[in-house]
Amino acid sequence: MSRRTALWNRWLGVGLASCLAVVTLGLALTGRLALYINPSSNWFAIPMAVLLLVGAGLSFLLPLGAEEDHGHDHDHGHDHGHRATGMRDAAGTASGILVDTPLDRRSARRVAEDPRPRAQGGGSGEGAAAHARTRTGRPAAVLAAAGGAAASLVALSILLLPPASLSAEIAQTRDVGAAPLFAGSDVVNLAVHGDTTAFGVGDWASVFATATNPDAFVGDTVTLTGFVTPGDDGTFDLTRLVITHCVIDAQPARVPIATGAKSPATGVWVSVAGTVRSTASGTLQIDATKVTPIDEPKDPYEY
Amino acid sequence: MTRAPAHEPPTARLSVSPATRRTVAIGLGVGLVAVLFALNAFAPGLMPDLPTRAQDGLTLSISVLIESLPFVVLGVVLSIVVQVWIPPGMIERWMPRRAWARRAVLSLLGMLIPVCECGNVPFARGLMMRGFSVPETLTFLVAAPIVNPIVIITTHQAFGFSDGILVARLLGGYAIANLIGWLYSRHPDPDALVTDRFRDACETVTHEAGDRWRRSLAQLVVELRAVMPALVIGAALAGAVQVLVPRNALLAIGSNPVFSIVAMVLLAMIVSICSNVDSFFALSFASTFTPGSIVAFLLVGPLVDVKMLALLRTTFTTKVLVGMVVTVLLAAFAIAAGVNLVA
Repeated sequence: MSRRTALWNRWLGVGLASCLAVVTLGLALTGRLALYINPSSNWFAIPMAVLLLVGAGLSFLLPLGAEEDHGHDHDHGHDHGHRATGMRDAAGTASGILVDTPLDRRSARRVAEDPRPRAQGGGSGEGAAAHARTRTGRPAAVLAAAGGAAASLVALSILLLPPASLSAEIAQTRDVGAAPLFAGSDVVNLAVHGDTTAFGVGDWASVFATATNPDAFVGDTVTLTGFVTPGDDGTFDLTRLVITHCVIDAQPARVPIATGAKSPATGVWVSVAGTVRSTASGTLQIDATKVTPIDEPKDPYEY
Repeated sequence: MTRAPAHEPPTARLSVSPATRRTVAIGLGVGLVAVLFALNAFAPGLMPDLPTRAQDGLTLSISVLIESLPFVVLGVVLSIVVQVWIPPGMIERWMPRRAWARRAVLSLLGMLIPVCECGNVPFARGLMMRGFSVPETLTFLVAAPIVNPIVIITTHQAFGFSDGILVARLLGGYAIANLIGWLYSRHPDPDALVTDRFRDACETVTHEAGDRWRRSLAQLVVELRAVMPALVIGAALAGAVQVLVPRNALLAIGSNPVFSIVAMVLLAMIVSICSNVDSFFALSFASTFTPGSIVAFLLVGPLVDVKMLALLRTTFTTKVLVGMVVTVLLAAFAIAAGVNLVA
């Protein structure tokens, strides 16, 4: 195990993990973790990232290559012992494991702590040769190296590139025509009987899609934030991505907005104030009294 | 202690005391982490914007990674506990003797250990290093993402008991896991099912010298080395495929009892959503897709999606993965078709 290989292996394991933990904590510290995951899982993500970095720091105590060396320069007796413990066949009994695991461990430790067999190197050469034979061939090694390089490239671009939210373009391609039904009929009940002022685009989209008595909502005043996607004539869609857990499950929710003026360009973030109206075809839409372009909010998603 | 590696020149040991060496090592670790933080804080300001599509792909990949990293850490911690801290024989004492009964119990282990699929792989590796057989571990690996308390709760929240989706998911997952375990227990040489790389790691870890803390550190390093590149590549693939494959193309076939299953299976393999929350994702398709296809989505996604296959490849040979994919797809298709007939 050359020093360079050992370093490369450390980078691919502890290094890549540390990059991701640092990105997680960096986003958390600047209040931007909501760009990627639902804040309700912050309690889990942040402490685990800290734990990982502590482990990464401590891993420097382990001499470089130490995690790979042991076992490789032992003799065949060990290889055999390993087979017995590590790869026990289904037929192996529990008592067997009870007996030979501690013995095997103890002898492993004794050999590892005894410098003589290594210094003499008699059996170790043989072990290394056997080891080399089981190693995968050259094409596989090249493939593994390429995979490592690709993973490093991805991890570094995550570390070095600025964070971003999903584009309006992907919101459009992900639209399946149905509103997300996260809260299901509860939303509609709440909307009829209670307060709709806290409703976001996602809530209203479910209401518009599932309301059995749309007239109950006519006249409600709303103020909503979202980005613009193209709608039917005379309207644009106010769209927001709704996520359950993290951005990969993002689904677009949209409500049609009627405005007398020209629609803003696709992808622009706007704040819309208006009232709910029913159209001639019996569906609901929002008649905007005011459409104000705004900067993208810090939490671009709804949950 | 004779902990200092024997292959270093003796002068290295004479000139630096172990305490100084430890301080230097920790200092180096803290320093490098600080460098990463500094890079993360200042470099993004200097970088050019990516094209929209590439940026979206990257954003999706990052979210998968940030979401799964804590579960990977949890999985590695559990694998260290199983491998280093639980005394030999403690788990084994509770296990039944018969092979099929052991598999049945192991596939329920997921109930006690709430790791979803990303944390599963390191944990399962820990089990194998401890001495559980390959078919037994495969059974756990396939069952745990589905027979898992969090998954049961979220699936129930999303679907309740309607159309038997929850029941079909749980029983189906349990059945598929035991089917795969049984299939591979018929294999003449179960040791041949794992990669050489895993066998090396096994050897390394089971023979690691030193006290428990040192062995824990070694296990941490080895497990992260095995899992991280695969996780990063799997997440990158999942992100890329999502921006490249148009979703509408898949969804145009929602109500056909056969093609809807195929479409949802493909979707499940592509999106690589964590099994803890995939039921909410599936819920929004429930209005247009057949119940059977939803069950197929919920069965296939946690077991053989793009990200999971990359992770499994760290430990199992390609042949095993192909066998697993075929078995899972066929079984899921059969269960889904059954649900469609009944519902």
